[in-house]
Amino acid sequence: MTQAANNYDPIRLEVFKHLFAAVAEEMGVVLRKASYSPNIKERRDFSCAVFDAAGNMIAQAAHIPVHLGSMPLSVAQAVAELSFAPGDVVILNDPFRGGTHLPDITLISPIFIEEGGEQRLFGFVANRAHHADVGGMTPGSMPVAREIYQEGVIIPPLKLAEGGRLNQGVMDLILSNVRTPEERAGDLRAQMAANRRGVARVQEIVARYGADEVTRYMGELLRYTERMTRRLLESLPDGTYRFTDYMDDDGIGDEPVPITVSITIEGDTATVDFTGSAPQQKGSINAVYAITLSAVYYVFRCLIGLDVPNNSGCLAPIRVIAPEGTVVNARRPAPVAGGNVETSQRIVDVLLGALAQACPDKVPAASQGTMNNVTIGGWDPIREQSFAYYETIGGGMGARPGKDGASAIHTHMTNTLNTPVEALEYTYPFRVVRYEVRRGSGGAGRYRGGDGIRRDIEVLTEAQVSLLTERRRLAPYGLEGGGSGARGENVLIRNGQETPLPGKGTVLLEPGDILSIRTPGGGGWGKEEYGQSRCVVVEKEDERMV
Amino acid sequence: MRIGVDIGGTFTDFVIVREEGKPVETFKVLSTPREPEQAVLVGLARVPSPGRRHIVHGSTVATNALLERKGAATALITTRGFRDVLVIRRQNRPKLYDFFADPPPPLVPDRWRLEVDERVTYTGEVLCALEPAQVDGLVEFLKGEGVESVAVVLLFSFLHPEHERIIGEKLRAAGFSVSLSSDILPEYREYERTSTTVVNAYVSPVMERYLGHLEQALAGDELRIMQSNGGSIGTAEARRNAVRCILSGPAGGVVGARYVAQMAGFDHIITFDMGGTSTDVSLCDGDIRVTTEAEVGGQPLRIPIIDIHTVGSGGGSVAHVDLGGALRVGPQSAGADPGPACYGKGDEATVTDANLVLGRLAADVFLGGEMTLDEARAWAALERLGQRLGLGAVDAARGVIEVVNAHMERALRVISVERGYDPRDFVLVSFGGAGGLHAADLARRLGIPRVLVPPYAATLSAFGMLVTDVIKDYAQTVMLPGDTPIPTLRAHLRPLVERGIAEVVAEGIPREWVLVEELLDMRYAGQSYELTVPLGEDPVDAFHAAHRRAYGYAALDAPVEVVNVRVRVIGQVPRPVIPRLDNNGEDASHALFDRREVIIGGEKARLPFYRGEALLPGNVIPGPAIIIRKDTTILIGPRDIARVDVWGNVVIGIGD
Repeated sequence: MTQAANNYDPIRLEVFKHLFAAVAEEMGVVLRKASYSPNIKERRDFSCAVFDAAGNMIAQAAHIPVHLGSMPLSVAQAVAELSFAPGDVVILNDPFRGGTHLPDITLISPIFIEEGGEQRLFGFVANRAHHADVGGMTPGSMPVAREIYQEGVIIPPLKLAEGGRLNQGVMDLILSNVRTPEERAGDLRAQMAANRRGVARVQEIVARYGADEVTRYMGELLRYTERMTRRLLESLPDGTYRFTDYMDDDGIGDEPVPITVSITIEGDTATVDFTGSAPQQKGSINAVYAITLSAVYYVFRCLIGLDVPNNSGCLAPIRVIAPEGTVVNARRPAPVAGGNVETSQRIVDVLLGALAQACPDKVPAASQGTMNNVTIGGWDPIREQSFAYYETIGGGMGARPGKDGASAIHTHMTNTLNTPVEALEYTYPFRVVRYEVRRGSGGAGRYRGGDGIRRDIEVLTEAQVSLLTERRRLAPYGLEGGGSGARGENVLIRNGQETPLPGKGTVLLEPGDILSIRTPGGGGWGKEEYGQSRCVVVEKEDERMV
Repeated sequence: MRIGVDIGGTFTDFVIVREEGKPVETFKVLSTPREPEQAVLVGLARVPSPGRRHIVHGSTVATNALLERKGAATALITTRGFRDVLVIRRQNRPKLYDFFADPPPPLVPDRWRLEVDERVTYTGEVLCALEPAQVDGLVEFLKGEGVESVAVVLLFSFLHPEHERIIGEKLRAAGFSVSLSSDILPEYREYERTSTTVVNAYVSPVMERYLGHLEQALAGDELRIMQSNGGSIGTAEARRNAVRCILSGPAGGVVGARYVAQMAGFDHIITFDMGGTSTDVSLCDGDIRVTTEAEVGGQPLRIPIIDIHTVGSGGGSVAHVDLGGALRVGPQSAGADPGPACYGKGDEATVTDANLVLGRLAADVFLGGEMTLDEARAWAALERLGQRLGLGAVDAARGVIEVVNAHMERALRVISVERGYDPRDFVLVSFGGAGGLHAADLARRLGIPRVLVPPYAATLSAFGMLVTDVIKDYAQTVMLPGDTPIPTLRAHLRPLVERGIAEVVAEGIPREWVLVEELLDMRYAGQSYELTVPLGEDPVDAFHAAHRRAYGYAALDAPVEVVNVRVRVIGQVPRPVIPRLDNNGEDASHALFDRREVIIGGEKARLPFYRGEALLPGNVIPGPAIIIRKDTTILIGPRDIARVDVWGNVVIGIGD
């Protein structure tokens, strides 16, 4: 595609890029400020986006990568199932009808504009936030379950508001099924406020530039990002690149769970085929199609490497095949809580493993490949209340061509913040005894993988711990001869004695017990040159099979 | 005699008040980046005084040491198990979609991050006492390492500072510069406290050396240093708390803008400081807004800093066409060297070149005639850019302006609309060399009814330093229930208040000129963000109201916490009285010096060009017109009307 062939104004294009991005960002500000729960305010686990009338995502505020490719599916589902009037708000979290996992609740609002006295549907705004609890078998709604029905309240696309009026029945039904209804109500109010702001801003833009011009540049922005993706694909050598990696287990069985991809690059298009991946599992590591799409989107978005708008154009030249009933496109009633937070990371790992064969100079070795989900709950006798604490822990980043991997950091599909040690001890009956870089856990190589984290938490009362972690059996891979990163370890320290804990599961702690989470290191890149070793010896088992 | 001094990248600005009620004098000398005090001394030598000179100085020394990572060799001592808090940060990465982006490396290398056995709990109880003898070994180690400065950050030290103090004494006795977190930032959240304390340790020795040179040369004068909170402090305090002097230059600009706007009768302003490489915007709704969530050079600083939003575009921003075919402006800047193409060295089209091609700058009298702009070179640069866009040079230039205005508009929206303010209630105060050409257009886009360009547009920051009070902020984490009786809260505040008053009086401010503000940082239990409210009769009520204002609702039944007590002590200084000038009538024809062709609103038109220095109070200039001043050029749109007020400000009423 040449510049001469374009029939758009390059100046308008840039101006509209800013306009739409600003709408998504402003929605995010409203949501963060008006929301109640720390998970949204402090950890910033939410995203906001603007869509055209056909449901194409035009702009997304850069918050959480795992929401990227999946938000358009929410809008598509709402469009398929419902009709819209001004002032409507659609709510959903059903992973099999436009959602991802149950804690992520999405709100969609249509944008109407007036034309010749008539209201015309012009587009949509949507936002998605991770709610701290949506009911189900454990506080925090991230259990190791066997069916989705155990994971919390399931909300198909429904009208939370109609014609600007709250549908109190829908609200009451949801709030009756969660552990912290007031906090949920506050967060949902904030989500509605964010959408209202977004709708008003898009209407202002239409009033300023005219509906036709805005529609035209929504299209141009999609084509703009599409051009960037095609340019990237064109720069990659044609061919088919395959890679397989494994989840440790599904938390119920003991078997590794393979995820396989073959990426075919042909000119300026690509086909990403997950055929050969394991069937959906009994445990909660199943990903719905939206998650898989998000991972594909994320990887190509990073490879473009430039500051392009996050919109649906990115995926236009890429065909994604994920057979139904597999761990990358699960069917009801598979449990899916971990698909979002764990399996999504492995999908990125296999995509990068395949693409490393096409462009070795652009792709890092495997990062920690897990989010290390830890939930601790129980009764706090000091504060006389029950508690449920949820956190994710960073780890090692894979080494990059020309650069070591960063240590002790969140990678790929998440970027949430930690809870400060002092904040934790003020609120919960815990004492953090160590929070440090797990030195030597990064894979060896010409460039070293980043180190993981060691976080040791002493509980001061009886507590139930739920672990949803990965890379405890199978290590993050190195590239170009680099070594694997160290596997993660979950350890119980009781009276100074260490006992290994499983990667996934539930364990009861006694007062004084220490839960020690040691997160995986990133893989190394390139062969270590003689004399270059930095006198770190890491236990490694090469379980790669490329 | 009172003097404000602001060091910039190219020039060091001086603003002088010789006698109250006399006009302010300003001048600039070339900055001396390697030894910034040289430029200060050169400038001060130009204004000798028989009496004591009062000098307020915005120093970039601390900021530059941090940004260029040229601070002292610094070590960190923490509680056992936590020496990596500085590296782990908050676990998040700086860029979401970039495999190759890294957080900035820590200011303290691995080898110099040390631990001691000790532990205090969240109630302030000592779980494990510090054995002082173990510190001796660390001190010996650090002596052998050539470390100059040491930060000490222990968990919950703000509840029990004794352990840090023991370590501090031993370090001081051994000759180290010492920063204790219980002094620098006695507030909870260990990473932000560590980062702030480490930055203080990192820049303090540099500040110490700098102030030492300056004080030696200026014996007999009174010297104060500008802080990022908009106030000034004495040099002794600036040495101990150097972190509070970071970003003092932009703070001076906001203070100065607020002062001139208030005199002109405008209380609600948005400041717009567009320079060569970046643009700073800030909003004052009567009061200057302060944040404790700033980040400088990737390091969070949890000290009060004027809430300034910065975007990386300015007059020197370079335009280019990206791979997807969009016209982009910035973030690359031509800076001062090579500078915009029209400066005669560079070849890339910048915002300034676009303005020149559109006829909006006077090439022959740029910077008051000190510099001639190379028009041919600017045209050539825009023509090359246009070829890549399929446009002529003029249309390319219009595009560059349109795009850079889109950046600015977005920045102005962030600090106004996004924070719940309606721009229509504000006046846009434009300063900085590049702002005058864009301010009226931006005001129009946002519905801002007026633009004010003060007479010291290019030295407003130094002027602001002349009008700053001595301001000192203190805080302490207390974590008390919201219904704590007021006397108990006051008991927690009292030591801070007493310390504050004593320190401000020690700076030479009479006690009766000292104001004290008592504040509480409050939140709903379980929240992680606090709102600051004044301590009044019913703090919980005040908090509900503040929460409703900020976030749209209040949870009247939810328990409330007081996280920190906070004290701001203000020592008022005499302000310069700016003389009010006589009204000279509306006729501005005496200042008209030419009519030239300008592209405005897509049309070619002959616009009157006025010499700003010749304009008199009362003069009225209907748009479209251009005012050429030594420090800036002002574009008045076709339906705008400009008037010079009795303080010498150009006030533009914005038409449709």
